[in-house]
Amino acid sequence: MPDLGLEVLFKGKNMLRLLDGLGVALKISLIAVAISIPLGLLLGILMTRKNPIVRALLRLYLEFIRIMPQMVLLFLVFFGATRVFGWNLSGELSAVIVFTLWGTAEMSDLVRGALTSIPAHQYESGAALGLTNAQTFFYIIIPQTVRRLIPLSINLITRMIKTTSLILMIGVVEVLKVAQQIIEANRMSSPGAAFGVYLFVFFLYFIVCWPIGRLAKYLEKKWV
Amino acid sequence: MKKLKQILTAALGLSLALSLSACGSSQPTASQSAAGSTAAAGSADTRVVYRTLDEIKESGTINIGVFSDKNPFGYVDENGDYQGYDVYFANRIGEDLGVTVNYVSTEAANRIEYLQTGKVDIILANFTVTAERAEEVDFALPYMNVALGIVSPDSRVIENLDDLTADDAVIVISGTTAETYLTQNNPDLTLQKYDTYANAKNAFENGNGVAWANDNTEVIAFALQNEGYTVGIPSLGSQDTIAPAVSKGNATLLDWLNNEIETLGGENFFHADYEATLVDTYGLDYEDSLVVEGGKVG
Amino acid sequence: MAETILSIEHLKKEYDGKPVLDDVSLKVKKGEVIVIVGPSGCGKSTLLRCINALEPIQGGEIRLHGEPIGSSPKQLATLRQKIGMVFQSYELFPHLTVMENIILAPTKVQKRTKADAQTEARTLLSRVGLADRADSYPRQLSGGQKQRIAIVRALCMHPEILLFDEVTAALDPEMVHEVLQVLLDLAEQGRTMLIVTHEMQFARAVADRILFLDDANIVADAAPEVFFDTPVSERAKNFLSTFTFERKNKNSQDAALRV
Repeated sequence: MPDLGLEVLFKGKNMLRLLDGLGVALKISLIAVAISIPLGLLLGILMTRKNPIVRALLRLYLEFIRIMPQMVLLFLVFFGATRVFGWNLSGELSAVIVFTLWGTAEMSDLVRGALTSIPAHQYESGAALGLTNAQTFFYIIIPQTVRRLIPLSINLITRMIKTTSLILMIGVVEVLKVAQQIIEANRMSSPGAAFGVYLFVFFLYFIVCWPIGRLAKYLEKKWV
Repeated sequence: MKKLKQILTAALGLSLALSLSACGSSQPTASQSAAGSTAAAGSADTRVVYRTLDEIKESGTINIGVFSDKNPFGYVDENGDYQGYDVYFANRIGEDLGVTVNYVSTEAANRIEYLQTGKVDIILANFTVTAERAEEVDFALPYMNVALGIVSPDSRVIENLDDLTADDAVIVISGTTAETYLTQNNPDLTLQKYDTYANAKNAFENGNGVAWANDNTEVIAFALQNEGYTVGIPSLGSQDTIAPAVSKGNATLLDWLNNEIETLGGENFFHADYEATLVDTYGLDYEDSLVVEGGKVG
Repeated sequence: MAETILSIEHLKKEYDGKPVLDDVSLKVKKGEVIVIVGPSGCGKSTLLRCINALEPIQGGEIRLHGEPIGSSPKQLATLRQKIGMVFQSYELFPHLTVMENIILAPTKVQKRTKADAQTEARTLLSRVGLADRADSYPRQLSGGQKQRIAIVRALCMHPEILLFDEVTAALDPEMVHEVLQVLLDLAEQGRTMLIVTHEMQFARAVADRILFLDDANIVADAAPEVFFDTPVSERAKNFLSTFTFERKNKNSQDAALRV
């Protein structure tokens, strides 16, 4: 059996530190998700409105967030806010802000896509049956939109969780950073530890993201 | 048409970002000397980002940026505590200032940014002094030497680069100082480049090259841990130094640090630091060539 | 003489300034089955959509029981309950079961009890031969079944007039018959219906009156026997000729082969 360096995981508080790091990553991504979903719904509905100015502004926002690498956004918020406005935001708050900006933008586009993918005939069928606009929206359009949205937004959530690995660049010690710290601290005593530690990190991401992915699959099957 | 729209939005987005970062990177002093700066812009730009010595003492905490994954200079042990040569010094700084130290985990790429935004008071992260960096931050007196070194197998110890022929490949890691230096100063040398430390190490151990050029701390550590290798050239090229850095213009803190380093020289503090943190990695042979005591190089 | 349920007077409908319906007038009596035929793009479907106010109109008036359609959104919703409409692309709600599709409007719009609506839905479903599919989802049904459900869904609202917009156009040929049979049964029951279709044999069998629409106007309005057997206008003749096929040199070719 090759030396995977798994023993370093059980040295001192290493295991606890990794779990703490995972907690940091989850806390940041889930707070951002919780804010992104309602904001994304709102912006997504606005994006389907006819007002060209509103649409252009939202489009600009979406494209800006999409074009910028998350790393650049993190630097812009964490260091930029201090340089330009003198706001000394903590790394975690900056991360929540960036992930919320990103999540909201992506979510709004998903909502817009789901809404526009509902055929016009669905609205007409509702109207022809004597349903009011509100009833049509509530009983026919919203349930179908949500069904289309759930697998997509769950995919977004897992992407957000995984992308938290970037926040180590603004000094937030999350699970990947803890892993690097453990590997480096044991560079001399267990040179092969990198493999074992990364394997464990993979396992941690897996046990978080896998059930979420399964849930998406299940809902997709149930609702398509 | 759609394409055009996308390009347009991309350009707009980028320019917005650039204007934001450009506005950010203008130095306080630079914009002050620019006579045309308006009152509003001036008030934003002349803001002092750093905390003076008194402000740090008053707050009771000093923020020091260190590496958290560069053993043995700055790393975190299995109990979650910061350790290493830089941290040993940082702890002493906290003690002598009478404040607690708040360690901030920094990366090589964001050390300058941390000082320019005042998010840390001092960077103590294996920070090599260079002329370009000295434009952005203020370096205190050095506390360590760094140079390039070349390690080779005992069977053929390379002590002079002139001994090498065109058939003798020298292994380097891409993007390191060693690569830059050898490309510039020994253009006739055959270089074999690898992307990661691990790949370079493997190649060297498999005999793909006759020698391996890297930071001398790295090659010394390698020779010490691997039987059958010798550092034939322990110090190549210009000697660089490693020093603490503070935000540009933070004179009170800089003066205090320089005083501290000079005073600590009296008790051979950095030798003690070396023996506590580096000796396992580099051995005693290199103590005097690596340590800079009292801020005096050489 | 039966009373007039629906009256259309001088209806004008334009798309981008181009007239699609130009001064169309029509009276529909209770129990009448009217089939609207005409070449593609002549405005047949648009006429039905205007009656249900799915399209805004540019002139004229449409009245149901003397009440103009579309005077306010609230009144519109009330009127639409009296007009049942079935579309070409069987628009069932995919997230609801067959039963839920049928009772949604009766319970939400007419505020009938669920039990009452379900009982009626079951009766109607068995009448179209789909009693066992109440709990199926639309995706589990064939096109013909979906279209029959859509008809039941419209019937369950107790409409006074039914509009059918090319309901067999999207179906595979073997399913056309089962759907048209349902329409024939409805005609037998004395329902008032406006049917747009390309099935000429069916039109002849089901219709009390045939309306021939061409160039944004009603060109002919006649009993089916008259319309099909002795068409008056040149345009109607041309239109009908597109449904018959002839191979002019068939005999001469046979002769040539025999030589």
